[in-house]
Amino acid sequence: MQLVIASGKGGVGKSTVTASLLYLLKDEYRFVAVDADADAPNLDLLLGVERWEEERELIGAKVARINTESCIRCGICQERCPYDCIKVIDGDYVVSELTCEGCNVCGLVCPVPGTISLDEVRSGVVRKTTTRYGFPLISAQLDVGRPNSGKLVTEEKEWAKKLMGELGIEHMVVDSAAGIGCQVIASIGGADLTILVAEPTPASLSDVRRAYKVVQHFRQPAYLIINKADFNPGFTALREWAEAEGIPILGEIPYDRAIPRSMSMLKPFVEAFPDSKAADAMREIAGRVREEILK
Amino acid sequence: MQIAVSGGKGGTGKSTVAINLAIALREHYDLVLADLDVEAPNDHLLLGVELANEEPVELFMPRFDYGKCTRCRKCAEVCEEHAIITMRDGTPFLMPNLCSGCAACEIVCPVPGAILPGKKLMGHTYLTETPYGFPLVTGRLLEGEERAMPIVSRAKKRAQGLEKELLMVDTAAGTSNTVSKALEDSRLIIAVIEPTPLGIHDGELILRLAKLMEVPAMVVVNRSDLGEVAKVREIAEKYGAEVIAEIPYSENIIRSYVEGKPIVLTDYPEAGLFREIASRVVEFLGGGE
Ligand code: SF4
Ligand code: SF4
Ligand code: SF4
Ligand code: SF4
Repeated sequence: MQLVIASGKGGVGKSTVTASLLYLLKDEYRFVAVDADADAPNLDLLLGVERWEEERELIGAKVARINTESCIRCGICQERCPYDCIKVIDGDYVVSELTCEGCNVCGLVCPVPGTISLDEVRSGVVRKTTTRYGFPLISAQLDVGRPNSGKLVTEEKEWAKKLMGELGIEHMVVDSAAGIGCQVIASIGGADLTILVAEPTPASLSDVRRAYKVVQHFRQPAYLIINKADFNPGFTALREWAEAEGIPILGEIPYDRAIPRSMSMLKPFVEAFPDSKAADAMREIAGRVREEILK
Repeated sequence: MQIAVSGGKGGTGKSTVAINLAIALREHYDLVLADLDVEAPNDHLLLGVELANEEPVELFMPRFDYGKCTRCRKCAEVCEEHAIITMRDGTPFLMPNLCSGCAACEIVCPVPGAILPGKKLMGHTYLTETPYGFPLVTGRLLEGEERAMPIVSRAKKRAQGLEKELLMVDTAAGTSNTVSKALEDSRLIIAVIEPTPLGIHDGELILRLAKLMEVPAMVVVNRSDLGEVAKVREIAEKYGAEVIAEIPYSENIIRSYVEGKPIVLTDYPEAGLFREIASRVVEFLGGGE
């Protein structure tokens, strides 16, 4: 089974919840964990990973370059770039490497053949390790300023599938990126179900609704975990929304200082503070995941 | 001129800093705030306004006139996104989800009229008046669409079009090229960083991006009592950025957020912190009244 954990936006505790859930389920189930937030991966930090067993560079992003020697400074490329990535610096036409999408429109419209080339560049790395908890983790890191490619996530999931085959593992747990863009679509696409994590604030509700629309797009079932559940007592709109949409609430985790403290210790909070009230709530949630989702 | 508020990690309080700073800066500049976190735009919620003046962002999407198409496959060959597949006889088909709207296919097609300019809706931009005397421009990607770049770029253009003295952009989390697009042309980047191991890890990435883009950066440490500020100072120094403020974890900030009343307008002591950040920014930028 392929299970995704998503939130719409970062900062609501999605990865801390994921790390603790993995910790609680590790003895009973075999799974590969995938950190699909290639832009800001952090599951490895939360699981205390210190080294990677294997790293693969991902070449695939493309960036246009202008040869200033042959350029006749006609400006057509700048006019036609769909994303405004060509600037004039000291009279030269220059591609801004950190925003170029690599579509090659500039190369097609340039009247001087050979002046614009489309070069392949590294977009990031995909890497694998075995955590100290025994299960493998696949993670990725996008290079700064590269297209936020869902391809990196697809690559990660492919590697995870291969590992599942080799090791006879049944489940894949994907910690999705923030947002709703290509990385999230690559995470949720092909999965069996999504667990949404949200906190009771208007911003988090707005973000999780958007993530849920992506889930609906792929016609998958969704569940909800409410984090920092007691943080904003007057705010009932999150629960009301879940009820109206028929999204089962797997549980509610109270705001607990044990969580930020465990993050500094680089451990899942259920491991670092097993007696905290957040850990109690998390164990209850893991129980429901066992009974209702993984069966 | 333009400044940006950014922060590597999601949920570091970037938007809180952005809206409070904008409110504090309105006394010095005629400004516009642009929310370029198009996958999860929230500044309007924090400012308590409903998005208004919606404009669609539509992208080019090829439509084929099969009566004219000679099945030469040139369009499929040129498509960097591999959004066009061809049948055995060369008949092109579009997979709309992959198409980025760049129009390269139309440029290379040798038969006039074989590719028609269809359109697809990618999202919207908004221009909303706020009760604080400055407008808010918001970009919002449509759910199910993958490409944030066109929305970021159009929302930014819309904000630039207002020709205010100061454009303040609030970027998405991370350091992908949509974040660089938002940051581009900034005179200053204010990086909001949490002093936790995760926050520092991600914060370092945004400082690296600022350095690559040759934009000076200042650091605001948020929830400064939840970790080791000294470590943030270390990475700030490494990238030549100055730490200009430390904002402790604060129930007051949460309360003001929940009540929809920006903290900088309250009597809480934290309000002073944001005014201080604003005066450091004004000092750096010079000008303004
Ligand atoms: S490859 Fe595309 S995005 Fe990059 S500069 Fe050329 S036209 Fe612009
Ligand atoms: S289109 Fe070609 S020749 Fe013209 S400015 Fe661009 S790179 Fe130079
Ligand atoms: S518009 Fe660009 S991405 Fe879309 S099909 Fe044509 S070449 Fe491919
Ligand atoms: S380039 Fe034009 S003529 Fe050739 S296959 Fe594509 S649409 Fe048909």
